[in-house]
Amino acid sequence: MELSRRSFVKAAAGAVGLFLLKPAASVMARESRSKDSLAMLIDVTKCVSCWWCYAACKDYNGLPETIKPDPAQPPPLSPIVWTTLKPVLSNEEWHSRKHACNHCTDAACVEVCPTGALSYNELGFVQYDKDKCSGCGYCVEFCPFGVPQLESNTVTELAVMNKCTFCKDRVTNGEQTACAAACPTGAIKFGKRDELVEEGRERVASLSKTNSKALLYGDKELGGLHVMYVLDDSPEVYGLPDDPEVPASSVVRKVISWFGVGLTAAAVAGFGLNYLVARARIAKGEEE
Amino acid sequence: MTEERVIERFKKRTVWLHWVHTAAFLILVITGAILFIPGLGGLASGGITRLLHRIAVVFFVGAPVVYMFVDPKMAWRFVKETFTWGVDDIKWVGKAPDYYFGGDEEKMPPQEHINTGQKMWQFIILVTSVVFVITGIVMWFLKGVVAPGIFQWCVICHDVAFILVFLMLLVHVYLGAIHPRMTESFRSMLDGKVSKKYAKGHYGKWYDEITAGEEK
Repeated sequence: MELSRRSFVKAAAGAVGLFLLKPAASVMARESRSKDSLAMLIDVTKCVSCWWCYAACKDYNGLPETIKPDPAQPPPLSPIVWTTLKPVLSNEEWHSRKHACNHCTDAACVEVCPTGALSYNELGFVQYDKDKCSGCGYCVEFCPFGVPQLESNTVTELAVMNKCTFCKDRVTNGEQTACAAACPTGAIKFGKRDELVEEGRERVASLSKTNSKALLYGDKELGGLHVMYVLDDSPEVYGLPDDPEVPASSVVRKVISWFGVGLTAAAVAGFGLNYLVARARIAKGEEE
Repeated sequence: MTEERVIERFKKRTVWLHWVHTAAFLILVITGAILFIPGLGGLASGGITRLLHRIAVVFFVGAPVVYMFVDPKMAWRFVKETFTWGVDDIKWVGKAPDYYFGGDEEKMPPQEHINTGQKMWQFIILVTSVVFVITGIVMWFLKGVVAPGIFQWCVICHDVAFILVFLMLLVHVYLGAIHPRMTESFRSMLDGKVSKKYAKGHYGKWYDEITAGEEK
């Protein structure tokens, strides 16, 4: 009895929460999205740190400074660096992990973006509209992977966010992303997400024969990432959070904004009522 | 017959401060709310409203600071009256609902230069201003310097302070300009003056104080 009651309360609260936070339409859109969504699979065991992905990204997106960086000092993500390599020492060998937007299914950046500049593409990746960006930088501060980049003027704070676009213009025209196309070793694979999840699992199964730490990262995280990783060591070693989350504060923010709107409506209604009652009673008092 | 409005409630400079502060505050409210209220965010595209927010805050903070230097005595009185609470304030709170719903005015405990409700409003303004300025500085200048968690909770605190001050602003505007009992309140914020009757009825203690020694 107690259990069923508790689960009822939980379900009811969840339903109310869902209703408030996620309109039903967006939940449905998300489900259809995950079926034929596109993704990339990064296999760190196949990466040879050639930086061709970096060069291809710069070239295709028209970003400056295309020279191969010093591998000992890889450039961090910035408004002109949308993908980079992170050197990692795992199992006594140097590896690189490609670092760029992971295109989450539940993306903190989309949830906190006030202007709707960041949104979900029906093919699964996280797209953005530069014209809508206000430069507030919430996406920068809420992304659990530290991906969106923004360099703003300190005084005016005017800025526009930049990050990996998933080569939107290419992938919506049936081509693969620039980095995947450039990768000479098959360390970056592009394709349908379902198939890549399968491929990733098979690869991990084969690696597991000799390395019990091998794992597929991103098949479940944040509702499923659209950039997944075959790792030969724990996510932490590769600079990936073990259990990434959409920060609770982003949810709190939505709840209190609706709360504020509700209180405001209640206050205005209250003033109307107060005005009518007070006016009538004062008039009556003056008559007496 | 309308009463002659002869009692000075606010100095000219106080009236100026009030309206400069009001203008800055409304710009802050509007440019802030569109980043906060679901569905209005599109209006912030391009970031101009965020720039306006930053220009307005210079006046929002600057106006009271200038006033503080011009008239430190009045500024101190403002702070002192905000934090001076007595038995009559407690009584006032208990009787306020009936009073504001048109109950008997005579039942209210006599008030100082400002009444208990106004003290609460001044208190909210002071407290939320501190919260706004601290969290605002973090969001403006320390983005990327402080840990993301700190930034996130600064955004939340800014939001909560906003809800609080905005609701109180609505109350302030309603009581100051619309409520059927506050007949002279709004005009007193334009030329600083009220009638003897209004001063006596609404701020009894203060009226006695300023008229002490005069013939009544």
